Parts: sequence; structure tokens; C-alpha cells
Amino acid sequence: MEIAERHIPAKKTVLPYYLTAAACLVIISLMVLFTVKDFDGHFFQPHLLAITHLTVFGWGTMVILGASNQLMPVIADKKLYSERLPVAVFLLLVAGTCVLVHSFWNFELTWPIFVGAFLILTALVLHSINIFVTVKRSSVKNIIIDFIMTAHLWLIVTALIGITLLFNFRFGFLPVDHLHYLKVHASIGMAGWFLLLIIGVSARLVPMFLLSRKEVNIFLTIAYYLINAGLILFLIEGMILRTNSGYIWFISLIAGGILCYLFYIWQCYKSAIRKKMDSGMKTTFIAISSISIPGIIMMAYLLHSRGAPVSMITAYGYSFFGGFITTLIMGQTFKTLPFIVWMHLTKPDRLQELQPKDLYNEHLVMLQLGLYLPGFLFFLSGILIHSPYLMYPGCVMMIVASVIYCAHSVHVVFQLKNERYKNY
Amino acid sequence: MKDIKITDPCYEEKARLLQLLSLVRDPELELNIVDLGLIYEIEIDKEKKLTEITMTLSTPACPAGDYIKGGVELMAKEACPGFEIRINLTFEPQWSADHISEAGRQELGW
Repeated sequence: MEIAERHIPAKKTVLPYYLTAAACLVIISLMVLFTVKDFDGHFFQPHLLAITHLTVFGWGTMVILGASNQLMPVIADKKLYSERLPVAVFLLLVAGTCVLVHSFWNFELTWPIFVGAFLILTALVLHSINIFVTVKRSSVKNIIIDFIMTAHLWLIVTALIGITLLFNFRFGFLPVDHLHYLKVHASIGMAGWFLLLIIGVSARLVPMFLLSRKEVNIFLTIAYYLINAGLILFLIEGMILRTNSGYIWFISLIAGGILCYLFYIWQCYKSAIRKKMDSGMKTTFIAISSISIPGIIMMAYLLHSRGAPVSMITAYGYSFFGGFITTLIMGQTFKTLPFIVWMHLTKPDRLQELQPKDLYNEHLVMLQLGLYLPGFLFFLSGILIHSPYLMYPGCVMMIVASVIYCAHSVHVVFQLKNERYKNY
Repeated sequence: MKDIKITDPCYEEKARLLQLLSLVRDPELELNIVDLGLIYEIEIDKEKKLTEITMTLSTPACPAGDYIKGGVELMAKEACPGFEIRINLTFEPQWSADHISEAGRQELGW
């Protein structure tokens, strides 16, 4: 039987995504510092729209697309269909994000923002095609692949709703107010794209890194159907029926799915042979636990007897992206990136003395987490209680953490140029 | 991997090979491939000058597969100089964490 060197994608399909995402994280942190006051107001305003879209495309989606170019061949046991498409996707995504974010920041809803949005949509469609064809050519079929494929479908749906909203800004053709559709757009993106994809990928990586002896796949399957049922019903209600009712049912379905996923992860942990967790896995587990924060805020918002403060919506969105997504990516970067670089450094005809863990610094990852986590909690508390005295220190801690993360990522990638490793 | 019997005519060679194979580490799982249970069988035929190793990987698409196989080949050449080295890669039975040896589990903090 042949082994899969052929499955290792070229550097250009992965590394530019990681580096750009790391740079974007620093930019986002700085943008947040200069817009702290905006977080105290309504969430629907130019600077927050710009920051949110940079977070979504420049940070979260950017690193996820790069990682999926690396992981899909492993999950599907098939070479990536095209190695040219990821280069085109990267360029389109970078260009589109720059234009879109700049336009939102200045709230210029003229032709450039439409160009930016269509560049991003094209990038997402091309990436999805690459993933779909790779999977179609593979004989591997399992629930993890279903999660990943469906997440890509929801990504396209989210982008289409987003573009519809942009047109609605200009031409105002949608029957109810803009904020209603914004809610649908954001929720589908968060639960449909980010959540489903993260569940799919982590369901593969967590038991692998922990060396789990028991994977309760039935809970993953139940999670898949519950979350998708919730999303489909929410989409129908939000876009067609618009009765503004039934939210408790959609949220319950999605929350039920998340609980099933958490049970799956818990079983993986309980049956794990590797109990000693490195910094990457510790960060990952903290991130997975932190998914409860937006959940609690959402429930508190829904259960609020009178009109809930709008800061709860801002806090909900912030805790999802700033807490769950960012912490998860920060942790998984140092599980995946050193390994990716290591694969390009080493040659199969030599015994490997160099190991992926030699390419990064564990203490630096812990320091980054130690700064980011309190920073995030300070900032979140600041949003909820309207306190700049909590938000500014939180912001500074997150900036330092993001600079460490960015410099560390660059350091790992630049090991490829390190003369010391040339002979490996 | 079954224990090598001391009565095995190639006991010494097999034991040395196994010792050398334990220098090859799975970079993802950070454990040597012998304790990880990736080596299923070792056959040494002194007459035919043939060393045959049956092994697996943690997953069929293991991205480090090529490097692990390369390491196994290298160690086999060192343990059995002048021998033909044949590496049979199999996924039957499929590897699971249950294959990890007691020493491996201890190293992983189980």
C-alpha cells in the first residue's frame, strides 16, 4: 500500500492564509482600541461592522480556509483537487476583505463595497468547489465530512444574505427592517459556518491529539441534525415567514446540538490516553468551554422581562468571535502550524531528530493565553457594564497577546528559511 | 506487536531492530512507533537475506506516513546490513489508541 506524501499540499496553499490571519488579528486588536467607545453604543454602526467583517474574513475564515486546505486531504484521504485555486482564493479574499472593511469603516455604500463583497463571494465559492470536488473524488464518507461540507454550504448562504443586505442598503427592497435580516445573516454565519466547521474539524483533531479510545459518533450525528434543523427553521422563519416567533425552538435545537458535541468531546477526553495536555490543547479546551459564554448571554437576553439592553447583543457577538473563535484559533495554530512547517522541512530518507514541538515555544503560547483570556474577560465585562475602565486594560492585554501570536506564527513559518534546518 | 520469543532463531536481530525502531517517533503523537503499536510484525530470513516489516499508520492518510516509513526503512538497513528490506503497510487491523503499549501510556501520562 502506498503512503500519502502526495497528500501534503504545497506551502502556498496554506501558509499565506496563516500569516495574513495573524497580521489581521493585530490590526483588529488595534482597531478595537481606537473604537472602544463604539462598543458602548448600538452594534449596528460603521466601525463595528468593519471590525466584525475583518474578524470574520481576515481572521476566522482566513485561517480556517488555510487549515482546511491542509486538513481536507487528511480527512478525505485524497489529494486536494486543485492547488492553484487556493492561491486565487487567497488573493480574492484579501482584496475583497480590504475593500469591504474600508467601505464599512467609512460607511461608503457605493460601488467599491459591492466589488469587495463579490470578490469575497467568488473566493468562498471557489474554495467550496475545491473542497467539494476533493471530497467527491474520495471514497471516505463520514459525519465529519458531512459537517465540513454543510458548513461550506451555510457559508455561501451567509454570504448571499450579506450581499442581499448590501443591495437593500442601497435600494431598500426588503419588506421588514434591516436589523431583522442582519440577525439572520449573523446567526447563520456563526452557527452554520463557524460552529459546524469547528465541530467537524475538532471532532477529528481532538480525539487524535488526545489519543482517545472511545469516540461516541452517534452524538456527533445527533448534533449534526439538531443544529441543521435549527438553522433551516431559523432561515425559513427569518427570510420568508418573518413572524418573529419560535426563536426559543430554533435556539433549543442548536443548543441541544452543541450539548451533544460537548458530550462527544467529554467522552474523548475521558477515554484519552494522553492526559498531559500541551499549551495548544489547553487553549483549545478553554475555547470549547467558552462557547457557553455567548450561550448564557443569549439566554439572558431572551429571558429578559423588559427590553434587554442592546449591549447584550454586542457582548453576545463579541464573546462568540473574541472568545470562542479567537481562543480556539490561537490554540490550534500551534498544534497545526509547526507540524505543517515540519513536514516541509524534513525529508523521509533521514531519521528525524527535529520534531514539530521544537519549532515553537510552549511558554510563549501560555503567555499569549494568559494575556488574551483576562483581556477578553475584562473587555466583555466592560461592554456589559459600560465601563471603559475595564475595556481599555482588556484591550491592551489583547493587543500584546495578538502581537505575541503574530510574531510567534511568523517565527514558526520562517523556520523554513533557517539554515540550521537545511540539512534535515 | 507480539513479543519476540527468546527461542526465535533471529531473536537477537529482531530485538536490535525493535530497539532501533523505537528511535523513530510519530511527530504528531510524540511517541515512538514501537510503543505506539504501529509495528505489527517483523520477519527476518537469514538465508534469503530478507527483512520484512508489517506496520500500520495511525490513519491511512497520515501526513507523516512517508517520514515514518522512511525512518523504519533506515533503521531496518542499519539493523540488518546487506539485507533486502520489505515494508508492508497494512490497515488491517486498523490502528487505535488501544494498541499503545503500557510504557507508551505511562509516557503519555495515562
